[in-house]
Amino acid sequence: MRVTQSMLTQNSLRQLSTSYSKMGKLMEQLSTGKKISRPSDDPVVAMKGMYYRTNLTELEQYKRNLSESYSWMENSEAALDHVQSVMHRARELVVQGSNETYSSEDRQAMAKEIEQLKHDFVQVANTQVAGKYIFNGTAIDKPRITDANDPTSVSTENSPFEVEVSRGIKLQSNINTENVFNKDMMEIWNGLQSALETSDTDALKDLMGRFDNAADTVSAERSELGARYNRLEMVDNRIGYQEVVATRILSDNEDADIEKVITDLTSQESVHRASLGVGARVIQPSLLDFLR
Amino acid sequence: MRSTFHSLEVARRGLVTQQTALQTVGHNIANANTPGYTRQRVNFEQTEPYPAPSLNRPQIPGQIGTGVEAGSIQRVRESFLDIQYRGENNKLGYWESRADSLQKMEGIMNEPSETGLSTTLDRFWQSFQDLAVNPTNAGARSVVRQRGLAVSETFRFLSDSLTSVQGDIKNEMDVTLKQVNALSEQINNVNKQIGEIEPHGYLANDLYDERDRLVDELSQLVNIKTTQVGTGGSPSALAEGKLTIDLVDDSGRKIGNLVDATTLKVNSLSLDYRNDTELVDGYSLGDTSFGIGSMQASGKLRGLIDSYGFMEGNTEKGLYPDMLNHLDTVAYEFAQEINRVHESGWSISSMETGEHTAFKFFEFKNTDITAGNKKDAAKLFTVSADIVQSLDNIAASGYNKGIITTGEFLGYNGVENISVSVQSTVDAAGVQQFTYTVYDAAQSPKQEMKTSGNFASLEQLGQGLSEEFTDESGNSSVNFNLDKVRLEDVSKGNFINIDIPKVGQVGGRVGDGSNAVALAEVKARSLQLNGVSTTFQNYYESVIGGLAVDAQEANRLSHNSETLRLSVDQRRQSVSGVSLDEEMTSMIQYQHAYNASARMITLTDELLDKIINGMGIGGR
Repeated sequence: MRVTQSMLTQNSLRQLSTSYSKMGKLMEQLSTGKKISRPSDDPVVAMKGMYYRTNLTELEQYKRNLSESYSWMENSEAALDHVQSVMHRARELVVQGSNETYSSEDRQAMAKEIEQLKHDFVQVANTQVAGKYIFNGTAIDKPRITDANDPTSVSTENSPFEVEVSRGIKLQSNINTENVFNKDMMEIWNGLQSALETSDTDALKDLMGRFDNAADTVSAERSELGARYNRLEMVDNRIGYQEVVATRILSDNEDADIEKVITDLTSQESVHRASLGVGARVIQPSLLDFLR
Repeated sequence: MRSTFHSLEVARRGLVTQQTALQTVGHNIANANTPGYTRQRVNFEQTEPYPAPSLNRPQIPGQIGTGVEAGSIQRVRESFLDIQYRGENNKLGYWESRADSLQKMEGIMNEPSETGLSTTLDRFWQSFQDLAVNPTNAGARSVVRQRGLAVSETFRFLSDSLTSVQGDIKNEMDVTLKQVNALSEQINNVNKQIGEIEPHGYLANDLYDERDRLVDELSQLVNIKTTQVGTGGSPSALAEGKLTIDLVDDSGRKIGNLVDATTLKVNSLSLDYRNDTELVDGYSLGDTSFGIGSMQASGKLRGLIDSYGFMEGNTEKGLYPDMLNHLDTVAYEFAQEINRVHESGWSISSMETGEHTAFKFFEFKNTDITAGNKKDAAKLFTVSADIVQSLDNIAASGYNKGIITTGEFLGYNGVENISVSVQSTVDAAGVQQFTYTVYDAAQSPKQEMKTSGNFASLEQLGQGLSEEFTDESGNSSVNFNLDKVRLEDVSKGNFINIDIPKVGQVGGRVGDGSNAVALAEVKARSLQLNGVSTTFQNYYESVIGGLAVDAQEANRLSHNSETLRLSVDQRRQSVSGVSLDEEMTSMIQYQHAYNASARMITLTDELLDKIINGMGIGGR
């Protein structure tokens, strides 16, 4: 084959520009830290990238939802703890009050304390977290008990407040309010108060049974909340783990392997230098230079 | 008897011919870097020997040579390589323009990234999740609205950008068309000039070069075939004649003349557009019109038409119309599904009045958009006026898979905690029928209280169910509206459960975020999109995947055809390119021959001098 100067220079130019484009690609990978900059670089990586990103976003969101759940449950737990200690104190008072050795003045004093405890109970029932009433089912904009002296003012809302913690998995974040802050409980409080005021020990004993039942229910509700809290922690752990995996997969999928890119770049640089050197030699003196 | 001056004449011919060759060498060297230049060669020919055979020929021992002449000056070119080159150039034109269009499209879609449609939809989903957890929070509602606006802006931006690039491609197409016609015109002019030169026996080498260059250029734009047409007069045997340029289809069959060498006329090429869609419908060559189908996949013009879009029957085809169609489908179906769920939920404003009002979340600026006509859905996509007007119109509560319950529950046969299940059955004849069952949910497990007969449609079932719940005077107290229920949710083993846990209002609760969760789930819900059962997420991923594979193919093929073209060009250069070394060698060769011829004259001169001045003195 006949080879002319222009063919050599043309070829050498083309090699140079190919080499430049390869270096450009590597430089781009190095500066963005990504394997691909447009889908056509690698369609599969691009498609997977979209999917993994969505996956990661979802996990981040579920974590955010979880923290909301935590807030509800921890506040409910604290409130139930308080309810139990209030009821504990009330029981002491009632046991004392039903004892015949106390005078009616003493019972009056006890009635005063029971009243305070009742108000305390109502206050707990109307606990607000970030402006939301957490013990009124899904009617979170309304207080549970509007009038401490009127048992019928207790709301009957009991819907679960559910939070999505994984795709399609919802976890109840509030307690079954009806088991703790109910009409019956308020009747007991008011009954206790008036029985002490009137020194009606028979009624006291009668109420005591109902009171103990209620205390049992509260205790059961607290255990259930604890169990649900455990479940929440488990979900949290799992999502935390999934997030780590998702981040790693996303990174594996589209992040450039920097060591490899730098190595490739270095070797491409030497190739480029070589082709520049060759280019310089290709433009040779012609026969003309030797003719006299 | 031969002439005394015979040798002088032979040497003179040598001188003149070598000089001609040297001039050609000079021409070659001067044009070493001229694009499209083909090296030229002087064809040396012996002149007729003496004597010519005839009766009165001189009686000499044999014929003796009379020297040399420049027979012709010829281009060194291989026309077969030209055909190959033009074939590859044609493919390159197509793939290059296609790769270019796809590259622009990739830039617009910008996936995967933190700013593409996919991320915008993810953010929209997130905002609903946040709303589900904080249904009363005005901040969360505001974020939902803003993210909704972002979704609509992204749809509009993508659609507008694609349309604007499509417009640019149209301009490029018009410019390319002008180029085709200008090249045809130029080739025709060269044909004319050649037609004037060749009859005189000359070779129009430089015009041939010019014409080949123009044909090369034309071959990148459209698929062509060239045919030589001889000129009249007495042309040289090496004459290349005039060229007819035909537009051909992919199998090489002639479609029509671009340049007619016989009549020296040019047929101009033009594109025809469909009126309503403004897409390419066909093309005309001179006065004849052709369907676009006959212009097969090759050449830059066809590449641009493929990108811009063309009509196949009544369907829009092409890269940009396809992508716009995908976007419109996603936009339309997404809006429909979001609206269906949103309309079935309870907004704060509805809860305040106790009356269920169905608010759309998204709407289209133009109401012409329907399931049958989704065109421009993405361009006209917008958040509905209701949502823009008030955040309280966002329906976050009360999701029952589309069943809207309104009114007041007064108990059912004395039971205050019930659950209603709606499902469908298919009878022996394959007809779908619907039933409902009412359960007493206070019992554990829940006890069946009543199972209805079969209803022919969901609407009738809704009526039947509404009549089941009445107040003392027998009027319906709870109303069930099943307009927004998807058939899939009650068929194929699926059923809908509505729990009514206590007497009272059956509408949404302010703290209930179930509809917000349902709205968030729309993104991942399986739906029929363009006849494929898939989710928005997957559909969009597959659209981007398709684009990526397309672009990758175009890049690869454009690179391949460029390599092939280059290799053919190398071979062509190998034949036709000027090599300076070679020219130098020839130059020395011709120079020496020239010098030798000159010496021959000196020698002959000396011989004659001897004869005239040295032999005897008789003449003096």
